[in-house]
Amino acid sequence: MTSLKIQNLDVQHGQLKAVRNLSLTVQKGEVVALIGANGAGKTTLLGSIAGVLRTTSGSILLNGQDITDLPSHKRVQAGLALVPEGRKLFTEMTIEENLRLGSTSARPGYWTVDSVLEAFPNLIKRRHSKTGLLSGGEQQATAIGRALMSNPEILILDEVSLGLSPLVVNQVYDSLKRLLETDTTIILVEQDLTRAMKVASRAVCMLEGEIILNKQMSEVSREEITDAYFGLHKVKDR
Amino acid sequence: MTNQIIQAILLGGYYALLACGLSFMFSIMKIINLAHGSLLVLSAYMFWLLADNYGISPFYGIFIIVPIMMLVGWGLQVFLLQKSAKAGELLPILTTFGLAIVIENLLFQQFGADTRSLAPYIGDLSWASWEIFEDIYVGKTSVYILIAAIIILGGLHLFMKKTALGRQIRATAHDPETAGLVGVNARKASVIAVALAMGTVAVSGLALGIRGVFNAYSGGPQLLFAFEATIIGGPASLWGTLIGGIILALAQTIGANIHPQGFLIGGHAIFFAVLFIRIFLSKGGMSQRIKSVLGISK
Repeated sequence: MTSLKIQNLDVQHGQLKAVRNLSLTVQKGEVVALIGANGAGKTTLLGSIAGVLRTTSGSILLNGQDITDLPSHKRVQAGLALVPEGRKLFTEMTIEENLRLGSTSARPGYWTVDSVLEAFPNLIKRRHSKTGLLSGGEQQATAIGRALMSNPEILILDEVSLGLSPLVVNQVYDSLKRLLETDTTIILVEQDLTRAMKVASRAVCMLEGEIILNKQMSEVSREEITDAYFGLHKVKDR
Repeated sequence: MTNQIIQAILLGGYYALLACGLSFMFSIMKIINLAHGSLLVLSAYMFWLLADNYGISPFYGIFIIVPIMMLVGWGLQVFLLQKSAKAGELLPILTTFGLAIVIENLLFQQFGADTRSLAPYIGDLSWASWEIFEDIYVGKTSVYILIAAIIILGGLHLFMKKTALGRQIRATAHDPETAGLVGVNARKASVIAVALAMGTVAVSGLALGIRGVFNAYSGGPQLLFAFEATIIGGPASLWGTLIGGIILALAQTIGANIHPQGFLIGGHAIFFAVLFIRIFLSKGGMSQRIKSVLGISK
């Protein structure tokens, strides 16, 4: 069943075309790894799916409903949640306040403050601390928990491991395990290729605003992905 | 001496009540509303109109003027602040400066140069007092004004801390884009915040009218006292505004004791003293220090 359908999407930053004529379909329950170098347009693509960036042309459909012109809070209502790059917590509020904010436009479902704290047990004893004072791993867990509070159908994770030590990244992914087993559709950006290949069911590689590789993880080799990452396939084809 | 301290605390309550709306918009929305004084005078005129034309007591007038001012707040946010905020941090401040001039001159055109007061419409309350110790009297209105300031500041504080809507407003003020991402309707939250601030401005206007006299250009001094109380109390805190108002009034009283014309100078002196000490104690470069003292750094 198609969950998210992006058709001929164009997004511009001023003169720069960051996403060009991009089409992508994501099935329900899939875990899609979005791979690409810095500046390939990954964050721009995710931002326009979540409604932070205006699209120049093209359309985005969620379960057949056109959400291209909806403001971001309405998209949360429709079942989309983004964990933004850099976490973007409300640093003057506590963990619990941040989590409760996540339920503002929530749909009914499994995730509540208690179930989030159960999934991220390292947050329990810091429940009433201001998030500005937390460690990077705790902040990332709070940001993911905040997104989960809306009980999303599609969860988008932008660079969850950015700025975290390998040990903490392991912890974050461990707590995500349970989520990965449910039927929540996930789109994630991950620079660590080994991890991305392990976690995701499909690889989508972007280069200069376009998708240049879109295959099931089982059918793709590590080399194919690295070539796409650096744009080497163009050279090799010659 | 005791008498002067008690009267200064009551005067401080009045300054805090004047400052409620300004402090709220400053601490939550990070907007310095330079039209605060004029909007306050505007609502005082509305109370006067109701009382003079229709014989409605200012205390019943609250139920009419507060909603009207909340509507004014809605218009202010939707038609002025929201649009000007797109062009940078400074433009909303300039916009409110322009708005203050427009309101003042419209009021002058409508009501002329006569000073007005709400005192004639509140019966004996305008001069009634309680004797608390031997030979020490406190005006009833002054006490009611102090109580009103505590209720409004405390109510706003609790509302922002404890309710979902308060959280949404704080989140929107901190980062509107991320607020949208977690499902907050950022536009709605801002509109509600400004409407609330203007609701309190209506009460401040009532306090101005029953405590003294006003004319079309009375907004300036009110804005100044409100701003000084807000900054002295610390712009990040609503309770601080109450303390700030009292400190301001005490300094003015001490100033008046030193020299008959020292009343205003005493207030300005403590304002600048607090400002410079805070700048001196905060960290970073000069622009960063000023930003953190004004509470506009993120």
